[in-house]
Amino acid sequence: MDKSSSQRLPPLKRTWWLKHRFFKLYMLREATVLPLVFFTLCLLAGMVALLQGADSWQGWIAFMGSPIVLLLNLVALAASLFHAATFFVLFPRVMPIRIAGHSLPDQAIVAGQWAGVVVVALLFFWLLGRGA
Amino acid sequence: MNMNKHDVQHKQAFDEPLWWGLFSAGGVCFAVLLPAVILFIAVLLPLGLLPTEALSYERASSLLFSVPGFLFVGAVVCLPLFHTAHRLRHGLFDISVGNDTLNKKLMYGGAALLSVLALGLVVAGFLS
Repeated sequence: MDKSSSQRLPPLKRTWWLKHRFFKLYMLREATVLPLVFFTLCLLAGMVALLQGADSWQGWIAFMGSPIVLLLNLVALAASLFHAATFFVLFPRVMPIRIAGHSLPDQAIVAGQWAGVVVVALLFFWLLGRGA
Repeated sequence: MNMNKHDVQHKQAFDEPLWWGLFSAGGVCFAVLLPAVILFIAVLLPLGLLPTEALSYERASSLLFSVPGFLFVGAVVCLPLFHTAHRLRHGLFDISVGNDTLNKKLMYGGAALLSVLALGLVVAGFLS
């Protein structure tokens, strides 16, 4: 569906969201995808480097270690965690879970998803933390 | 968001459930997988905090250019790209930049292109 501005409502100014904390946080959440785009492009570059050969791969790792790139990727890490914090609370609202007639408390669903984040991190540690 | 709902009742949005579905799936991957992926690949690896052989050229190649590598790229690159495209599209609408008909094509089109590129790289590495 095309979202065109209605004739019945006055158009909003571009800065409407700066007027309230709630909307600023909303925009911050929307903006979490910007550093993600940066990380994704880095990752794609890494895949190309890996395809090119061992020297390119080492060059890519060096590129990833340059201060600006590292800093932007730390921002991406923080953004992914902020996105997670906002996204996990939506789950129990969108899809309440009922087990044997009892609904699971919201906190339990949110905690379960954070446990998922930890499990994935542990999986990476298992895969990459111990050498070949 | 649906300010023009009543004006265009004849115009059904058949594609929107697809975009919202990809947005959701990508959001789950972004939240659950990306923190660990970014930590290990973009922070620990360049800082030299992983064992030397953990992501050597040989090991990284054999991990990525495989069936699990293909699924990894789907979950870590492709789905989050559609999540991103959706947020950018709606974000641009929120700050009245461009027009939504064009933004929609650019964003989802861009996500699709990069997804095909990413999966294509895995297949190319798998075949070489």
